Amino acid sequence: MSTSQLELPSYLEQSPKVQQHMADILSRETVLKVENLTKEFISPQGETIVALKDVNLEVKRREFLSVIGPSGCGKSTLMRILAGLETKTSGSATLDGKEITGPGPDRGMVFQGYTLFPWLSVKQNVMFGLKMKGLNKTTAESEALQWIELVGLKDFAGSYPHQLSGGMKQRVAIARALANEPRVLFMDEPFGALDSQTRAQMQHYLLQIWKNVDVTIVFITHDLEEAVYLSDRVLVLDANPGRVAEHIEVPVERPRSSAQFLSPQVLTTRARLEELIHSDPKSKLDDLPIFRMSKVGDDPDK
Amino acid sequence: MSAPSERWFPVRQPLSRQRRLILTALSFLLPLALWCLVSYVPFIWHPDMKLEISANRPDVTTVYTAGDRLSKEFYPKFAEAIRQANADAQAGENPNSSPRATRRSNQKDLRQLASVGVREGWIGNDQTEDDAAIYKLWRDVANGEKVPKRVKLSDENMEIIRQNWQTLSAASPEYKTSLLPSEPLLKLIPQAKPSNPVYLPTPGEVIEAGWRDLTTPVDEGETSMWSRLLQSTKIVFAGFLISCLIGIPLGILCGTFDFFSRLFEPFIDFFRYLPAPTFSTLLVAIFLANDAPKIALVVVGTVFQMVLIISKTARLLDNSLLEAAQTLGAKPGQLLKSVVIPGILPDLYNDLRILLGWAWTWLVIAELIGVKSGLTEFIETQGRYRNFDRVFPVIFMIGVVGFATDQILAFLRPVFFPWTSKSGSFFRRFRRGSIAQP
Repeated sequence: MSTSQLELPSYLEQSPKVQQHMADILSRETVLKVENLTKEFISPQGETIVALKDVNLEVKRREFLSVIGPSGCGKSTLMRILAGLETKTSGSATLDGKEITGPGPDRGMVFQGYTLFPWLSVKQNVMFGLKMKGLNKTTAESEALQWIELVGLKDFAGSYPHQLSGGMKQRVAIARALANEPRVLFMDEPFGALDSQTRAQMQHYLLQIWKNVDVTIVFITHDLEEAVYLSDRVLVLDANPGRVAEHIEVPVERPRSSAQFLSPQVLTTRARLEELIHSDPKSKLDDLPIFRMSKVGDDPDK
Repeated sequence: MSAPSERWFPVRQPLSRQRRLILTALSFLLPLALWCLVSYVPFIWHPDMKLEISANRPDVTTVYTAGDRLSKEFYPKFAEAIRQANADAQAGENPNSSPRATRRSNQKDLRQLASVGVREGWIGNDQTEDDAAIYKLWRDVANGEKVPKRVKLSDENMEIIRQNWQTLSAASPEYKTSLLPSEPLLKLIPQAKPSNPVYLPTPGEVIEAGWRDLTTPVDEGETSMWSRLLQSTKIVFAGFLISCLIGIPLGILCGTFDFFSRLFEPFIDFFRYLPAPTFSTLLVAIFLANDAPKIALVVVGTVFQMVLIISKTARLLDNSLLEAAQTLGAKPGQLLKSVVIPGILPDLYNDLRILLGWAWTWLVIAELIGVKSGLTEFIETQGRYRNFDRVFPVIFMIGVVGFATDQILAFLRPVFFPWTSKSGSFFRRFRRGSIAQP
């Protein structure tokens, strides 16, 4: 598919600065640890479907990890198990050494569908977790306002979610999750429903927020550029059954900017991800067996 | 939202505000126009004749009074029989042998004019046996001082009135029972207008009867229409309130916890198929007289449906909201209080609107059990007398109260739930200038 004849360096080549950064991350404490995690479903027809098989993973403190993979690779299932919304079949998943058994405020989550409470204003949405913790109203309110300011929505604190645009809603959802000061923030294709311009802006916001907050982010996406642009490491999953295909350390220096999109490091990493995702021959894009039906006009390819 | 269309039949597009207003008005006016058409245009239906003036036939016990309906076949025979009776009387063939009997018969004949007097408003509804007043009517009509406008007297009858007044005034200018003539008076010949059967009164008759029943002060010991309405409304709302107190918590629990759903719903699903009216005697036995068994019937009729409908609404709450709340640290109790209840409230509100309508439908049966009461008692009694012109206003009144309540609740919904934008009230839909988005 690629028409580029450019000679690219290997994605495994890292500049000294990136090497230093990776070593720094790997030396930090482990926040999330997943060992031999397996998840099986029973389909309505009674067959056993293996969604995840022997997944191993370690996420370090303040790391930004993206998870990509073809559809059906179980990336959402993995995240839901880690968030405690689903149970695992076997293996272990621990947060700071403690086994994950259910959802909790130490693991925040941002969903693709926003999931803001429509009956609460922006401020009340952000206060939700704080009130669940038992904080009194005044403290919760002043804390919530700080988080709303962080995501740049100070003027909309009193608005209801239905009055906001998609990007604003997702910023509220991020503020709401961060207000609990979780150890890990899970994001399940959070920008998937946004238009490309808003998405680019949101990616920029997210990096800024992450820089200022002590939080580890696990980020699911199907957008390869997004994964490369945001992450320290990318976990690539294989489908049927969902397994780890490769752990990729992104060889792009921080701070990231959109100017890097055409750098050799980004292109080579992206190419590798593409290769992994489309390694399944069945999912190759073939030319459709269509003959030209129009008799008039020119062939647009000539 | 797309701009209102300029055409009348755009597919899935809103019409302009003005056109919607017209069509909504028409949706009420068309049935009304149809009713008027059938009522006031004679050749469409009108199988009966409605008497404006009736008469007693000698030796026949069946009595028709003004307002009664006769078939078109029978009415001419009836009128002819009266003419024959008049001819016999003039020929001296008097069936009443004694002068006393003749005087009594004359008194009845005098009262023939009472129905005309009432229709014209010359005498009150309670004066139909006030012979002195009726006597004056004969005088005034015979002298041409009073000309009936609503009941056009036939020439034949005008002639009879003049003749009779001659006989009467010769005996006495004022009414005195003893001074009634001893020779028979002529009977007024029955007059009638084509009309529909008794079960389809005209809009005019219905409005007139309804106005009378609503505004006429009632005697001591009788119940006015307003207090009947109040009584009926009380039964509906008391029953509905009790249903809510049981049904809403139970429905929410069933929709939130599988435990309660499995424990309660199968039985409720079965029980709702037991027809509520079959419990009426049982309820009277338990709750005795007065309103209690009636309220209980409304409860039995609504509460089971309510649990099922509300549990379904609770189940429809977006599960991702519950998941999001859990990742924010909400425990099961907090989920119920802070997510499930506020989350389903707007839909619950709409459910309750539908269920309130349901409660109104049980009202009629409820009021029939035990001691009949409220609006239903009136409908029952008047229906038995075939006074359907008095029955229809009450039926409409129930409809108007139910409809108005629902529209007010629909109108208030955005006030209670400012974060939702859908509204079921068509008044508000006009203001919006657009149909509700799906």
